[in-house]
Amino acid sequence: MTTTVQPGAGGAALDRPAGSQLAEVVDTILDKGLVIDAFVRVSLVGIEVLTIDARVVVAGVDTYLRFAEAVGRLDLSNTGGKGLPDLLNDVQEGGAKHKVKGAARGAIEAAGESVRGFLDDSDKRPRKPSRRPERGED
Amino acid sequence: MAAQSTTSNRANADARHGWYVYGVVDGDVELQEDARGVGDPPAPVELVRSGSGDVAALVSEIGLDRPVGRPEDLYAHQVLLDAVAVDAPVLPLRFGAVVGSRDAVVSELLDENEREFVSALRELDCELQYVVRARYREDAILREVLRDNPTAASLREKVRAEPAEVAGDLQLRLGEIINIEIEARRSQDTQWLADLLSPVTMESSVRPPTNELDAAHLAVLVKTDRTADLEEILHGVAQEWSDRATVRLLGPMAPYDFVVAADEPRS
Repeated sequence: MTTTVQPGAGGAALDRPAGSQLAEVVDTILDKGLVIDAFVRVSLVGIEVLTIDARVVVAGVDTYLRFAEAVGRLDLSNTGGKGLPDLLNDVQEGGAKHKVKGAARGAIEAAGESVRGFLDDSDKRPRKPSRRPERGED
Repeated sequence: MAAQSTTSNRANADARHGWYVYGVVDGDVELQEDARGVGDPPAPVELVRSGSGDVAALVSEIGLDRPVGRPEDLYAHQVLLDAVAVDAPVLPLRFGAVVGSRDAVVSELLDENEREFVSALRELDCELQYVVRARYREDAILREVLRDNPTAASLREKVRAEPAEVAGDLQLRLGEIINIEIEARRSQDTQWLADLLSPVTMESSVRPPTNELDAAHLAVLVKTDRTADLEEILHGVAQEWSDRATVRLLGPMAPYDFVVAADEPRS
């Protein structure tokens, strides 16, 4: 049984990953946690880019157009995926509408890719916690 | 101790070194010697105890001439704190906190805030954080919106009937309605989920969505002996929602969402 659920795959399992994705780590340790004043702050490289990447969610025109396109592609007569006519439409449509979508998507994917590229170099991400402290009284 | 090997360096370049602080634990916690943190290569993590010995900080030495924040550094911070949290209560600091010297860790961080740290750690005893994320399957949620919102359904038909050049404004309007509908479902589903989990959670905190298809994004604080119950409930949710949303459970992790500045009350 797989624990990874692909959208549309129809799986019902709870996704229980061993480690977090980078965006999830960013959400947690850059946004939450105790902040103590009077600390020296080290210069943080790349954080801004990562933070922006994780925040590309404020709904706006790009989101609206994407939803409108997605709902337009829905085939309400059956539950299958994209039909041939829709695929042809995608190729034939051009113009401003697509450019807007392309630009918005591009920004998100490009940011995601650069992060992923980073990781591929030395993929140390979900390491098994190997360091266990022990309570003295246990 | 591994840190002794760098003592001579430190004497020469004190101003260029600081102490990166991960979090605060009880003074009786012991750390495995192979614990590593941020930096390249990853620096050995040490415990620095307060004057009274009641609390301790997890720290590692860090060069201030080089910025941190590579993905490896972010993971190192979280992996260390999450591993510690499983065995002992820990107050996680936000990524990037550095104190100028070892002495300052003791005097400015630990001694000054000791009372608050001790009581917060006591409160967090046997509690762990989890994060629940649910995300709508796009096709399914769009079908739901079309089914429930006649305006959206008829706008969709109009858009499909018009040539692309003319349909622009209608499309924008359609997309906006869909977004409003999804936002309404998100807040409803988030509340529903929080209520459903409330028998097994000590506290919960709604996080902002990180994707326009997010169905719920929730941090919860759970007693260690209720973890299995939490998973069981969420398995049920995943099954119930299998056609409309995926459900993801992260953790156990340190209580990042449930610590506040030492002089503020915990919400």
